[in-house]
Amino acid sequence: MTTRQSNRTRRAAATVAALAAVTLLAAGCSSGGAPAEQSSSGGGTQDVTITVALPTDPPPQAALDAFKQETGITVTWATSDWDSLQTKISAAAAANTYFADATNVDWSRVGQLGTLGWFLPLEDYLDVESLKAEMPQVASFAAGGHQVGLPYDASFMVTTVNTDLFEKAGITTIPTTIDDYTAALRTIKEKGVVEFPLNIPFAAAEGLSTYWYETTGAFGGTILDGAGKPQFAEPDSPGYKAAEWMIGALQDGLVPAGNINVNDSQGEQTLMAQGLAASTFSDYSGLVGSLYDVEGSSTVTGKIRYVPTPGVDGPASNLSNPDGIGIPKQAKNPEAAAKFIEWFTSEQTQADFAGLNGPDKVWGSSFVPSRLSVVQKLAQAGSLADGEHLAELLKNAKPVFPDGAPVWYPEFSNAVYTNLHAAAAGDKSAADAVKAIADEANRLASGS
Amino acid sequence: MPRANGVERGGEVEVGRSLRPTSAPRPRGRRFDALPYVLIAPVSIFIIGLALVPAAFTIIESFFTVDELNPPVRFNGLGNFVALLRNEAVVSSAGNTALYVLIGVGLSTVLGMAIAVALQHPFRGRGLIIAVLILPWALPGVVEGILWSGIFEPNAGLINNLIATLHLGAGNGVLLGQDRLLTVALIELVQVWQMTPLTTLLIFAALQLIPGELYEAAQIDGASRWRSFLSITLPMARPGIAVAMVQALIATLNIFDQPYVLNGAASTGASVTMQTYFISFQNLNFGEGYALSLVIALVTVALSLLVVRFVYRKVEL
Repeated sequence: MTTRQSNRTRRAAATVAALAAVTLLAAGCSSGGAPAEQSSSGGGTQDVTITVALPTDPPPQAALDAFKQETGITVTWATSDWDSLQTKISAAAAANTYFADATNVDWSRVGQLGTLGWFLPLEDYLDVESLKAEMPQVASFAAGGHQVGLPYDASFMVTTVNTDLFEKAGITTIPTTIDDYTAALRTIKEKGVVEFPLNIPFAAAEGLSTYWYETTGAFGGTILDGAGKPQFAEPDSPGYKAAEWMIGALQDGLVPAGNINVNDSQGEQTLMAQGLAASTFSDYSGLVGSLYDVEGSSTVTGKIRYVPTPGVDGPASNLSNPDGIGIPKQAKNPEAAAKFIEWFTSEQTQADFAGLNGPDKVWGSSFVPSRLSVVQKLAQAGSLADGEHLAELLKNAKPVFPDGAPVWYPEFSNAVYTNLHAAAAGDKSAADAVKAIADEANRLASGS
Repeated sequence: MPRANGVERGGEVEVGRSLRPTSAPRPRGRRFDALPYVLIAPVSIFIIGLALVPAAFTIIESFFTVDELNPPVRFNGLGNFVALLRNEAVVSSAGNTALYVLIGVGLSTVLGMAIAVALQHPFRGRGLIIAVLILPWALPGVVEGILWSGIFEPNAGLINNLIATLHLGAGNGVLLGQDRLLTVALIELVQVWQMTPLTTLLIFAALQLIPGELYEAAQIDGASRWRSFLSITLPMARPGIAVAMVQALIATLNIFDQPYVLNGAASTGASVTMQTYFISFQNLNFGEGYALSLVIALVTVALSLLVVRFVYRKVEL
């Protein structure tokens, strides 16, 4: 190589390296996206592209295309698992960095997100008040006087039973009280219909917490009062009895011992859908259509149905755990995001997603619309698996925390599922588990 | 002795300056050559921006209260560290993590050594075996966790099904979540399955540098294969073993995916990195999260230095 060639090579290498260095510096020094107030879009929504990040697959392209045609807004859909998405929401908010224009607002984090001000108040963009009659679960997404998100589906906890297994045990009337329900489960076990009639997911995960909340509701109580004080510490309280009932069911052999390491979806798939369990006391709405009635995933098609949750003296109300959507403060196009949310939760779109207007825009198989009118239409049309029961149950669905989830809910839930799991695993008694949960709730409520 | 592309001058070798005569005197006031600095600038910025700056932030903020639910940020001295010591979940997880490290580093090193020795000498199909061997290493931890959950699942898992099919038991045994030692051991087995390929490759690379003449000489002297292994293979492989042990140490100290997927948040298997996640992203107490991260980093450095001190030996051939 001649000196000139060598110099040319050196210069080229230096230029490439310098460019790379400048690019890296520029990337490192950039803010990662301008927050809403610095947006250059000026609030216009025509020809805008927004990112929607939700823990679910995107709706059919035909639906998103229709939205684009209607508004001029292009939607980029980012699917992420629930845990990762919560981490992204926290990391982006803490770092004041943009990551999406509209994203998941989980009912359990509403209190936290509302207090932190990480989401824009939706009442500034949408007429939330007019939705309340139509969307029974809107209240679950309000905190601190602001609407943090809107429910886009109507997920709630329900009791499911395998009617075939109940009938085989000679039980033709579905019990409506917990005592009768427990007795029925014992009968099923004693008659050898199935070895373990009840499914409770005792893995240390959120599904165990929600199971306990639903069971507590069935025993006639609540978990926390408006000030966040535990309502389950006393032995005669519903929450205490609910914990004892759950642990007792495991110890009595109504629940498989292995369920201490089974989470909610595993229990649904490997026990209920395979006909190995006769009932799940706190199951998820929509599962009959999306799992139990699906050939290939289930061996009990047509045999599982939703029943009113057995309570102390009769059917209890169901607790709602809907999925919501809101606008993070760092959104680049909040106006466009609001239009998307308005469209996403509209009666027309919900009906499209539910399949009332043909197959082109059907979204998944477990979608339960958040609008009551659409659920009722679905039930009337016979388009919703066991829809008649579901629509009736939805009317009585109420939030887990009537005064909103406390800001420290995630920490509290961790205490709930780790302690109940420990009791199920035999590391501590149900009483000790409840005491530990109550102590943690008191500590968190006192702010220490 | 002049090297390729290099010229020795006054005991120094300058790479890329082969055109200058060796006898030329060092020029006075030599022009500053910025090229090396420009060339290393991108990677330096990368390391500074993505490793050193965050590390500095972590160290500094671990002494501050950085709690999104309890603003503002304020100096807290050693408060975060004291809180961690009082946190039962963290202490319990530290015990689990110690078990993960002991089992993981020990087992992956022994297995890696055994496989590397088996692959040391060429044979037909060795390349294929090596290619297949690294597959588990290529899988993300979460995918492995999901894969193995189908094996450990108590009601319909492979192990319990096998036990029932072979009439060795009822087939409903609880594998994870009840007994701490069994839970940690089984979860760590999954991680060992993942990281042993890398351990094997690192030791295998070291074994390839051992001259065959040494084994021939040992054979002539009447040494058995075991004696050759102890006196030649093991000492000569020590650099590779040390590197493999350090990477296993880092992996096991930071185990997250496998216990989280296989055992949830249960105390029987939770690791310290899981606690970092819970404290930082669930409780939004970033100050304590930083403090725990710092402790994990310091323990990693300290244990790595110990491994290097006691295992690593420079091999000169």
